[in-house]
Amino acid sequence: MSLLNVKVTAVEQITEQVKQFTFELEDGGKLPYFSGGSHVVVAMDIDGRIHRNAYSLMGPTSDNERYTIAVRKQEQSRGGSVFMHEQVKPGTRLQITPPTNLFAINKLAKKHILVAGGIGITPFMSQISDLNRLGYPYELHYAYRSADQAAFRDQLEKLCGDKVHFYVDDEGRRMNFTELLIQQPLGSHIYVCGPNTMVNSLVLMAKQMGWPDNAVHSEKFLAPATGEPFVVSLSLSETEVMVPGEMSMLEALEEAGIDAPYLCRGGACGRCELEVVDCDGELIHHDVYLSDAEKISANKIMPCVSRANCSRMVVNL
Amino acid sequence: MNMAFKQETLRDDYTFSNSPESVRRFPFPFDEDEYMYSVNIEPHDAGPPGSVFEHAIDIDEHYLTECEERRIVLEDDHGRYVALPHMMDAQWDMVELVMTNLAKDYPESFQLTQDGDNWHWVNQPLGIDQKFVFGDTSTLPMEPFEFISRQVQGDWVIMDQRDEDLFADLGIVTGQADWSMAFDAGMSFKEWHAPVPHAPEMGIFDRALKYLLHLQYGSPVRRTNWRMCVNPRLDTSSEKWHLWGPDNVSVTAENVAEKVYLRVELQALFRLPRSNAIAFSIRTYMVSLEDLAKYPRWIKRLYRVLTSLHPDLAEYKGLNSYLPYVLNWLKPQDDGEVLPKGTQPE
Amino acid sequence: MEKGYSIKSKPIYGTLVWQDHAMHHVVIAEGEGGKALLKLFQQKLPREPLSVLYLAADPQAEKYATTVQKIINEPVTIKDSQAELLNALKATLDSCYMGTQFYVAGTEGFIWKVAAVLRDAGVDDKNVFKELCGSLGRRLYCVHCKTTNENVHHNIHVCTGCGRHLIVREHFSRLMGAYMGFMIDAEVPGEIPAAEEIYP
Repeated sequence: MSLLNVKVTAVEQITEQVKQFTFELEDGGKLPYFSGGSHVVVAMDIDGRIHRNAYSLMGPTSDNERYTIAVRKQEQSRGGSVFMHEQVKPGTRLQITPPTNLFAINKLAKKHILVAGGIGITPFMSQISDLNRLGYPYELHYAYRSADQAAFRDQLEKLCGDKVHFYVDDEGRRMNFTELLIQQPLGSHIYVCGPNTMVNSLVLMAKQMGWPDNAVHSEKFLAPATGEPFVVSLSLSETEVMVPGEMSMLEALEEAGIDAPYLCRGGACGRCELEVVDCDGELIHHDVYLSDAEKISANKIMPCVSRANCSRMVVNL
Repeated sequence: MNMAFKQETLRDDYTFSNSPESVRRFPFPFDEDEYMYSVNIEPHDAGPPGSVFEHAIDIDEHYLTECEERRIVLEDDHGRYVALPHMMDAQWDMVELVMTNLAKDYPESFQLTQDGDNWHWVNQPLGIDQKFVFGDTSTLPMEPFEFISRQVQGDWVIMDQRDEDLFADLGIVTGQADWSMAFDAGMSFKEWHAPVPHAPEMGIFDRALKYLLHLQYGSPVRRTNWRMCVNPRLDTSSEKWHLWGPDNVSVTAENVAEKVYLRVELQALFRLPRSNAIAFSIRTYMVSLEDLAKYPRWIKRLYRVLTSLHPDLAEYKGLNSYLPYVLNWLKPQDDGEVLPKGTQPE
Repeated sequence: MEKGYSIKSKPIYGTLVWQDHAMHHVVIAEGEGGKALLKLFQQKLPREPLSVLYLAADPQAEKYATTVQKIINEPVTIKDSQAELLNALKATLDSCYMGTQFYVAGTEGFIWKVAAVLRDAGVDDKNVFKELCGSLGRRLYCVHCKTTNENVHHNIHVCTGCGRHLIVREHFSRLMGAYMGFMIDAEVPGEIPAAEEIYP
C-alpha cells in the first residue's frame, strides 16, 4: 500500500480528553481529496513497535492542503491514543494511508439523518461538509456526556445552523431513538457512529420500526482485543510468527515484516480476511464482518481484531 | 514520446492500420496455452517505456481517430452517454483524473494550469483551449464528464459504491464489445455482468466485487479481456449489431488474415477521491491476424487458446461464424514448440 | 434451456408475506394479483395502518375487488386504468414514512412500473415485496430503436418500433423494467427460426 509522509502542523486541545491534529504533506505537496466519512490509518512508532490506528478525517472535503483528525485519549487502551496525546507535537513526522471510505453517504437518499455519540462525531464533520456542498437535506443529532465534553459544538452550530440538535447526558437531555426514527420521509437513511451500546440499540430500534437494513449505516471502531499469546504459521510463505498477548494478530504479522492486507483495522471491512487451514484450539472472533455461520465454521479470521485460544494456528498467507 | 497521430476510419472504408511499433506494443492477453475466464487483477503500475502500461491512461497513434469515432457515434445516438443525477461529483473526479494524467504524461500534447478552482486546459491534437471553474458546470460547454471523455481513448463506466455493491451510474460507451450502456445503466455489478457464461457460478464476480469494494485511492488495478472482430470496427455495440452482424459471415479462407482482428480490452480501475466512485476504463486495442503473425510466439499461442476454448465462451464472444476459417489459417503456423509462460511478443 | 444455468440480472419473485415490523402496509395489485391479495389477507389482517390499491380492468378482477373489500372492511382504492392507479399510489406516498412496507402483485411489467414510482420516492426495489401473477408476458426493449414492446409472449418478436425480428435476451434492467431484445437475423437476413410462445 502506498503511504503518505506527513508532518504535524498543529495540535489543539479541544476538550479535556480530545485533541485535534493537523497534518500536511512533508514535501509541501497537495493531499488527495476525499469523500465525507473517510478515514486514514496513522502509523506510530511506539518504542520501536509500529502501532496503527484508524481515525476519521474531519474535513472540510474541499481542503487538499491539510487533513485534520481528532483523537480521544483512551487511558485503558493499548497506547495509540495516549501516544498521540503525549508524544505527537507540531513538527512530528508520521505516515498515514491514503483516505478510505467505509462510511459513505448513500447519494440516492432523500434525507440523511446523522447520529453521533461522543467522539463518534468525527466522521460526520466531513460528511457535513459534503452534505452542505451538495445541498442534500440532513439533520445531525449529537449526544455527549457533559457540557465540557461538547467537542466541536461551536463549529457545528456554524456549519449546520438549525439542522443540528445537541443532547447532554448530565443535563438529562437524552436522545430518544423512537422519536428520531418516527415519521421520517420515505428514502431517509440513518447513519450512526458512537459507543457500541448506542450503535446497537439504534440499529435494533430501526429494525423494529420497519426500517430496511440498507437504510441504516453504522460505524464502530473496535479496538483489537488482547488475550493469550499463540503462534501463527504461514503456509504459503513458510514462516512462523509469535503473537504476543497484548498485540493483535495483524500487528504481529506486520512486525514480522509480512505484507498483510488491511483497510479498517476495526473488524468491519473484511479486507484482511485470512483463511484458517488449521488451529489446535478455538478462534475468538471479535469482528462484525463474518456471518455467524462463518464464525462457527472456523475457517476464516479477521486478524485485525480477532485472535485465538490455541498454541498454533495455520493460515493461508 | 514523439507521437504522430493518424487520421483513420473505424467504419465504412476502414483505413485503420497499426504501425509496426503499435503491433509490438499490443497487449497480447494470453500467457498460457489455455484460456478460462478469471479475475486476473493486478496492480496498474507503470510498465516499461513504450508499452501500453507505461502511463495510467494510454494515448497512442489512434488518438485522433478514436476521438473522431466517438464524436460520430454520439452524434448519431447520444444515448451512449449515460449520467445519472447523483454522479456529478464523479464527473468532476473524472475531469481531474484525465486532465492531470494526460498533462503529466504527454506534456507536448496536453497542458493543464490550475490556480485554485480556475483551470486552463489545452488539448493541442484536438485544438481545444478551455478555461473553466472546477466544480462549476456552467463554465463548460457540456457536462464535465462528457467534455473530458470526448478527449480520451477507451470506454469509461463510473460505478457508484453503495449498499456493498457497485452501480453502473455514469458512462460513455461507444466502442464496446456487444453490450449496451443505455440498457445496463444503473445495474449492480453482478446484474451488469450477468450475461458472461459460467463466470457467475465460478464465483468470479463475487470475488471481483469484494476486491473492488476495497480498491484504494492511489492504487489502481488492471486486467485484460479479449474478443475478436471482423474489420477494425470499434463500435461493435449491441445497438449496432444489425450493422456489424453481417460482417461476421463475410470471412473467407482468402480474407481471414486481414479481416479478422484480435481485440483486447485493457481494463483499468481507479478509485475516485471526492465521489468514492470507481472509474472503470475499457481501452480497446485491435490487431489483425496478419499483423499478429509477425510474432510467431503470439500466433502459435492464439491457435492453442482458440482450439481449447469452451464452446460457451466461443459463442459468448461471438466467434462461431468465422472461427473455423481462423483455425484453418492458424493451424499450419503452429509447429508445436513449447512456449514458456508470458505474454511477450518474442 | 441449459441445465443449471441462470442469469443473475433476472429478478426472482416470491410470495407476499407480511413484514411484522412494518409501521404501515401499502399493498398494490392488478388483475390476477387480486388472488395474491386474498392469499395475503388469509395470513392475517394486520394491526398497523393499511392502504390497498387495486387495478381492476376486467370482470374477474372486479370479483377479486369485491371479495377483498368484504374481508378487510376498510376502504380499498380501486381503479380501472394503470395510469390512474399509479397516480393514486403517488398520492398515497405523500402520507408514507420510513417503516412503510410495500407489497406488489401482478405481471412483471406492472411490478416494475410500480417499482419505478416507488424508486422516485426513495424506496429501493430490493425492499419491495413482489409476487408475479397472471400473464408471463414480458416487456422487451429493442436495443436498436429503443422502443419498449409491451406484453411479449413469444421468444421472437417483431419490434413495433423498427419492424426487426428481436430475440429476447435473458438480461433484465430494473430501471427499464424490461428485457433486452436484439435482432435475430443480423448475420444472415431472413434466417429466422419459428417463434414460440414461451411467456404465456
